[in-house]
Amino acid sequence: MTRLLRWSWRDLRARWVQVVAIAFIVALGSGTYSGLSSTSAWRRLSYDASYRQLRVDDIHVTLSDGSFVDAATLAAAARSIPQPGRIRAAQPRLLVPTQVDASTANRTILVPGRIVGAPIVGGAAGVDLQAAKAGRVLRAGDSSAPTATIDYHFAHHFALPAAGSVTVSGNHRLAYVGQVLQPEYFVITGNQGNLLAEADYAVLFTSLAQAQSLAGRPGAANELVVAVAPGADVPRVEQDLRTTLEARFPDVGVKVQARRADRDYRSLYDDIANDQRFYDIFAILILAAAAFAAFNLTGRMVEAQRREIGIGMALGVPPRRLAVRPLLAGVEIAVLGVVLGIGMGALLGYLMGSVLRGFVPLPVWRLPFQAGTFARGAALGLLIPIAATIYPVWRAVRVAPVDAIRTGALTARGRVPLLARIPLPGRTTEQLPFRNLLRAPRRTVTTVLGIAAAITVLIGVVGMTDSFFATIDRADQELLKSSPRRLSVDLASFVPVASATVTGIRQSPVVAGSATDLRLGGTLRNGTAHVDTLLQLIDLRHGIWTPTIEHARPAGGLPGIVISAKAAHDLGTSPGGVVTLRHPQRTGVTSYRYVQSKVRVIGITPLPTRYVAFMDLRSASIMGLTGITNTMVVVPRSGVSTGAAERALFGQPGVASVQPVQGYTDSVRHELARILDILLIVEGAVLLLALLIAFNSASINADERARDHATMFAFGLPVPRVIRMAVTESAVMGVLGTALGVVLGWLLLGWLISDLLPRAYPDLGIVSHIAPRTLATAAGVGVLAVAMAPLLTIRKLRAMDIPSTLRVVE
Amino acid sequence: MRNQKLRGAARAQEGDALGEAGTAGAGPGPHRDVIALDSVSRSYTVGGGTVTALTDVSLRIASGELVVILGPSGSGKSTLLNLIGALDVPTSGTITIAGRRIDGASRADLFRYRRESVSFVFQTFNLFPTLTALENVEFGAEVAGGRDRDRARRALVDVGLADRLHHFPGQLSGGEQQRVAIARALVTGNPILLADEPTGELDFHTGVQILGLLGEHAAAGRTVVVVTHNREIARAADRVVELSSGRVVADGPPPGGPTDVRELRW
Repeated sequence: MTRLLRWSWRDLRARWVQVVAIAFIVALGSGTYSGLSSTSAWRRLSYDASYRQLRVDDIHVTLSDGSFVDAATLAAAARSIPQPGRIRAAQPRLLVPTQVDASTANRTILVPGRIVGAPIVGGAAGVDLQAAKAGRVLRAGDSSAPTATIDYHFAHHFALPAAGSVTVSGNHRLAYVGQVLQPEYFVITGNQGNLLAEADYAVLFTSLAQAQSLAGRPGAANELVVAVAPGADVPRVEQDLRTTLEARFPDVGVKVQARRADRDYRSLYDDIANDQRFYDIFAILILAAAAFAAFNLTGRMVEAQRREIGIGMALGVPPRRLAVRPLLAGVEIAVLGVVLGIGMGALLGYLMGSVLRGFVPLPVWRLPFQAGTFARGAALGLLIPIAATIYPVWRAVRVAPVDAIRTGALTARGRVPLLARIPLPGRTTEQLPFRNLLRAPRRTVTTVLGIAAAITVLIGVVGMTDSFFATIDRADQELLKSSPRRLSVDLASFVPVASATVTGIRQSPVVAGSATDLRLGGTLRNGTAHVDTLLQLIDLRHGIWTPTIEHARPAGGLPGIVISAKAAHDLGTSPGGVVTLRHPQRTGVTSYRYVQSKVRVIGITPLPTRYVAFMDLRSASIMGLTGITNTMVVVPRSGVSTGAAERALFGQPGVASVQPVQGYTDSVRHELARILDILLIVEGAVLLLALLIAFNSASINADERARDHATMFAFGLPVPRVIRMAVTESAVMGVLGTALGVVLGWLLLGWLISDLLPRAYPDLGIVSHIAPRTLATAAGVGVLAVAMAPLLTIRKLRAMDIPSTLRVVE
Repeated sequence: MRNQKLRGAARAQEGDALGEAGTAGAGPGPHRDVIALDSVSRSYTVGGGTVTALTDVSLRIASGELVVILGPSGSGKSTLLNLIGALDVPTSGTITIAGRRIDGASRADLFRYRRESVSFVFQTFNLFPTLTALENVEFGAEVAGGRDRDRARRALVDVGLADRLHHFPGQLSGGEQQRVAIARALVTGNPILLADEPTGELDFHTGVQILGLLGEHAAAGRTVVVVTHNREIARAADRVVELSSGRVVADGPPPGGPTDVRELRW
């Protein structure tokens, strides 16, 4: 065995460059799997620990838009459920939409946001506690003064100081004493449901009393968070709460939802499984590329040992013993790859850990070494090269000894006669690269597949970002098709269209035109399918901006609704279909209940977000909101910048927030731009992978064709001409691999977008798109880089001992 | 007798061939010497020691000569052929081919020299397996600067392979492959043909055919240098240079003069 080991080790040393190249490919595959998969465990551990540490609520009660009830009454009602001991804590809260001015001396920072007012209760009795990333959390004494803490995401994004002050709607100055993380806001969603909104959405946490004071609603609340006692059945408590609160507040719409059903909470955990599937796919693709490369090399090594195997067979050595030596080579390559892969996985894990901590700031991040994951990665890395070795070895030991020993067997021409029948123009030296592709067709196919696997990864990963950007571009195109300078002005409450608040805005010197609209939350149902929606009631005929309505259908006597294609798909309906809309209906000045109305889908909006829906303002009657508004669209006067108009309107009484429609997608774009850095790493890794595969193949070809090259040199053909032939051959493989990779990548992207992304981003109807830049990168990596791989063999060719090589007989 | 006649015809044409060599040649020796080696030695470093393959070899070969370099294994005959073919460079001494010194020439010049002056026939044929017989021969023509399919075809017809033009090497017998290799070498039009054990892989009859071909082309004015360890083959040469342990131990016509290849036996 020692002799065999030493022998196979010599075999490897003779081809050490190719062996290292394959080991790196294996390492990329197993390292990618181990490094990326470790993050899944880290995320789960860290989310659990962070939620536990900050005592996240179990049940979340939200009143319908515009509804307020007495805070003490709401808390008491919650505690009046049967077996109230099942509730550990019940906190009424007041959520107030606002505008936050956090401008510094050098920068204007004016964004919409939210004030979260809650009783300041720490320790075991607390719910949804805060963790300070800078400064401190609120204390009981902070209730008496306009003091807050500010969400870390926003503060960190704008590099705000640990403590300072901001101005909120109504021109109230609010001091903040720390930058905090709060479990409901581990992921920031904007006021229009937009994800990744930390750049343009600010959350301020203050005492309930201060929030009531700022909103001018003493004693009021519009939310309740509940923590159940250990061992209590959460769904049962949720149901009892719903029953109790609906009975206690019959005129108010009450939405009771378990935290585990909350979109943001769920998305964090669901993302782990979704991302793991991504990682699995990419690791499998890279490992497949490694398998093809290993197959090529071991095939070549076995071919080179053909005569020795034949001699062994002639001497009566059993085939299984002859197979051990080449199989050992596969094992040694695998072991080297796995060892390198552990290092690569650890490095990737470290990098991903840093990225994750930056991307999802949590109070607790736990990143222990994932031995099990690394063991699985190592097993995959071991298995694949060994499996790739078996077939060539099996073939080699099945050849008759007389054939194995015979010299000149390497004049094998593969499938060349097929190509020879096709008349190709040019000299023989120009035809040789094409003939050589069919000389070892199996190697050509495996090389092409390896390159295709790398390009598939590239198209899959980068194509997702392209698709996100294309989706955002599509949204921008629709939103900015007319009046691109318009502002969306959210009012602090529902007010009559003739109210002083509305008149004040209309008559503002910065305003050229305006429209009063309504914006309400609701739910669309069709059978068992349901979709949460942000309903916008606007003048669909003469509004300042009206949505494009595709596949328009008449309303046919019912209120008409325009929904997104994604909503139509998820609801299983289409234009002309009738669905049920659960929406608020005004029952008093500050009370709204939920009712259901049948509405007809009168068309599809090209906006990609599922929750967006439009109705004509005339349908406000079904909500009891005729002549009432809670949001306005304003066009700034000519010569007045949107920023100036924003600032001017921010000071108007009754205005909660002002947001230019142009900035609607900016935050998502900004956050996606952060991913581009990661994509550069992916592109680099794919480039390396494609280059390694191509180099491996070029190197094997150079090795196998050494005698041909020596003959060419003997006839005076210069090295550059020989290299040019190899480059042409590689380029053809690159073109084939890239073309196949683009097609497979496109299919993979289609699957990711139709199957995987909807789980991660259920509210987004993402369009599959591959940007020209991505195709150019794929061509650059798959064709140019691959074509250049033979240049790495120049030194070997130049140093060739021509006389000795001419005599090589394998 | 045909061989003898061809050789006679070659002598008659010698004046033209010498004239060409004379135009090109300005080096040592008379103008008729196409190949001139002066005090050439070649040694190699192997495993820390030095192995001398050739020692102080001086040799002159005229245009149109069929010279056999004879010697046992390890005598240095292949090294000598490689030096003449510019596949290797001498450790010391000078090599002049057609009036041009090739020892110490640049890499690019050596490649050009091989394209323009010499052609090789190898023991193991070294045909390109993915090219047909005709394409292999075309390769030779193209490398030498011309691309003439008809010439390549004629070259194959001349070596008796008119019906095997579109066969791949793997579909040809050893003798046929060697004839393709000879056609490939001849189609270059280069004045010197170097053959390293051209019959080593062939049976007797095929070997005789190949030697006949080489003799014909020597007779037609081409300088042919054949390396072999087969003393019988040397009998067909104009001149035999015998090597032993890297030194020339004999140089002259075979005993009894050149023999018709049909009378050879081995």
